[in-house]
Amino acid sequence: MTTFHARNLKGISRAVIAVVILVVIIAAVAGYLVVTQQRAPVAVPTTPAQKFKIAIVSDIGGRGDLSFNDMAFKGGDDAKRDFGVGVVELVSKTEQDYIPNLRTAAQDPDVKLIVGVGFLLTESLVTVALEFPNKFFAGIDTSAQEVVKEKYKDKYPLPNLLDIRFEEHKGSALVGALACLAAAAYNYPYVGMVLGIEIPVLWKFEAGYKWGCNWALEWYKSKFGRDPPGIGATPVKSRVLWTYTGTFSDVIKGYTASKPMYEKGAIAVYNVAGPLGLGINQAVEEIAKARNLTRGPPFWIGVDANQDWINPGFVIASMMKRVDKGVYIATKLVLENKFTDVVKRNNGVLVLGIGTKIDGELAEGISVSTLQDLDEFIQMGINAERLTGKKVLPAPPEEIKAKVKAMRDAIPSWVWEGVKELEDKIRRGEVSVPLPLTPDDIKKIRDMYG
Amino acid sequence: MAETLSYSMPLALTGLTFAIGIRTGLFNIGSEGQVYMGALAAVAIGSASLSYAGHAHIALTLIGSALIGMLWALIPALLKVYRGVHEVLSTIMLNWTAYYITMYISSQVLVDPARPEKTLSVLESSRFSTIVPGTTLTGGIFISIATALAYYFLISRSVLGYEISLLGSGIDVARYAGVNVRKIMIYSFLLGGIASGIAGGLLVIARPPTYAIYGTLGNIWGYGFEGIGVALIGRNNPIGIILASILYGGIKNGGRFMEYYAGIDSDLVKAINGLIVISLSMPELFRILGRLVRR
Repeated sequence: MTTFHARNLKGISRAVIAVVILVVIIAAVAGYLVVTQQRAPVAVPTTPAQKFKIAIVSDIGGRGDLSFNDMAFKGGDDAKRDFGVGVVELVSKTEQDYIPNLRTAAQDPDVKLIVGVGFLLTESLVTVALEFPNKFFAGIDTSAQEVVKEKYKDKYPLPNLLDIRFEEHKGSALVGALACLAAAAYNYPYVGMVLGIEIPVLWKFEAGYKWGCNWALEWYKSKFGRDPPGIGATPVKSRVLWTYTGTFSDVIKGYTASKPMYEKGAIAVYNVAGPLGLGINQAVEEIAKARNLTRGPPFWIGVDANQDWINPGFVIASMMKRVDKGVYIATKLVLENKFTDVVKRNNGVLVLGIGTKIDGELAEGISVSTLQDLDEFIQMGINAERLTGKKVLPAPPEEIKAKVKAMRDAIPSWVWEGVKELEDKIRRGEVSVPLPLTPDDIKKIRDMYG
Repeated sequence: MAETLSYSMPLALTGLTFAIGIRTGLFNIGSEGQVYMGALAAVAIGSASLSYAGHAHIALTLIGSALIGMLWALIPALLKVYRGVHEVLSTIMLNWTAYYITMYISSQVLVDPARPEKTLSVLESSRFSTIVPGTTLTGGIFISIATALAYYFLISRSVLGYEISLLGSGIDVARYAGVNVRKIMIYSFLLGGIASGIAGGLLVIARPPTYAIYGTLGNIWGYGFEGIGVALIGRNNPIGIILASILYGGIKNGGRFMEYYAGIDSDLVKAINGLIVISLSMPELFRILGRLVRR
């Protein structure tokens, strides 16, 4: 009995060995193909005409998110248009790809500047920037120089590495003011915000929004000499409804988080979770359909890019974080040979915000969307349509613009005046928006504004 | 090439998990969750300062990962054996359970106070250092290959391996041959759990530069399911799996060059990779399906 089985098993294992050999052959051939195909096309696209290239290594998601990553690629496209540089793109599929992607780009002799998009690339940027001292590295939202300071103290600040960060708190204050003034104008009791994963960057959004709301209602009081209607009657600590959803990808959560806010009486919900805005949009669309509205209220507020076109008439404005300008400015610095100089003077950190300057020249990176910059971003939608083959734009560009304009005109002009005044005050440094960096800071904000 | 090996390191292990399940006649897709738990254990043990441990710190961390992977696999094993819950159902659910547990613990408990988007990094003493400069390949690859070899000998040379194969060829056959079916099933799950647990551990302690779990779980996500493809290409044989994982790693790593030099859209690269894997795994898939249908 046993011998029979044993022999049988031997037969099986022989078959297995045969299979293994087969697999080895397949693996070898496929491996060979993979290797050769890696190398073969090297010579083809690297035409000698383009001696200067920049590489953009995106975070997970890549093109088509209509916000963060697309903005970075837009910066690359703008640089290509204005400076004639070549642009190569590498999309990270997982966190494991960061380092190999950065290295692949750095090994290309024509690539002078490598931009890593997203705070998760921090360590990877440090590692690769140390390996390639002759290449320039810029990180969007990263804190790479802090890591250098911590781990390689003698090299701080690394001369070929620049962290580009943004004053999101200031932009959030502006849209917070906008939302709360609109709530006063339309007699709504609340405003809302839906956030992603609770990371310090998002505290800046949270604090700014709440602070801006409060500033705006005080401004209303001093301007009109009475308490604002609607939201003015709500106790300070419950004016802003807010939720951390714990995700930057689960669009449904945007819907489930914002729906009750609108039901409770929020005039606008601020999207601080990238694609979750589409979920918020769905909640708004439902209400619009039920009440047969052609424009808000209710509204939602876009983030990162100008998202006003996604649902024209229902996106009151967007807090624009001009990642594209970050890429653009970094390219410019390299071209003008100012990169290391700027790194040295600023300890490797470049902050773009409202009224920020490089060498006395205005270099801003935060603003509230306007009607004028809508065109640029409708173009982004057209590009996305071309890339994905899916319909992205909700209407023809002209119709979108007309709708957004009609919505903006329908909102009382003093609302926009209030926002403008806050922006001027921030630019002149007459008010300072709280910037929470530690858990204690954000706790203080929450104690104050709920 | 070294970069390729770095990608294959965890895949060989998760491939083993699926392969050993198939060999026992189980469709065990719980590898994903066991990877999460293994990674979590690695962060917990690896970031604890065990000054007396010295180099044993690495070993301790890996043992912890293996143990917790094993424990996580014990749950579907017991459910299957004593309650008849189908392993596909229980493992899918447990994958999600593990996902949310890991998400919670890595964002609330083991979080790096200075950098809340990731967990604490494991200490130097429990890290594998890179063996080829300029790549992310670390000594972890040896652990991975050694484990696969150990499984090879276990399956082909031991009584347990023999009993596993018997059970794989049919429950009735195994019963007739006097195999303790329950025991072998549980062992099969546990062996799978150990391999995936180690894979999770290696993803944390043998992958530069962060040596931590990102709050998105992005650096430990997906390996369990990719392991299924690796196992299918490797014909469920540990040696075959080592080779298949290298092939798979090569495909993953090579995709970057398609994108960079040939300018192919990254999504198309993924689709091409998927096609390669599907076509390579077809024969084995048909064999498994055929066996299921015949039953």
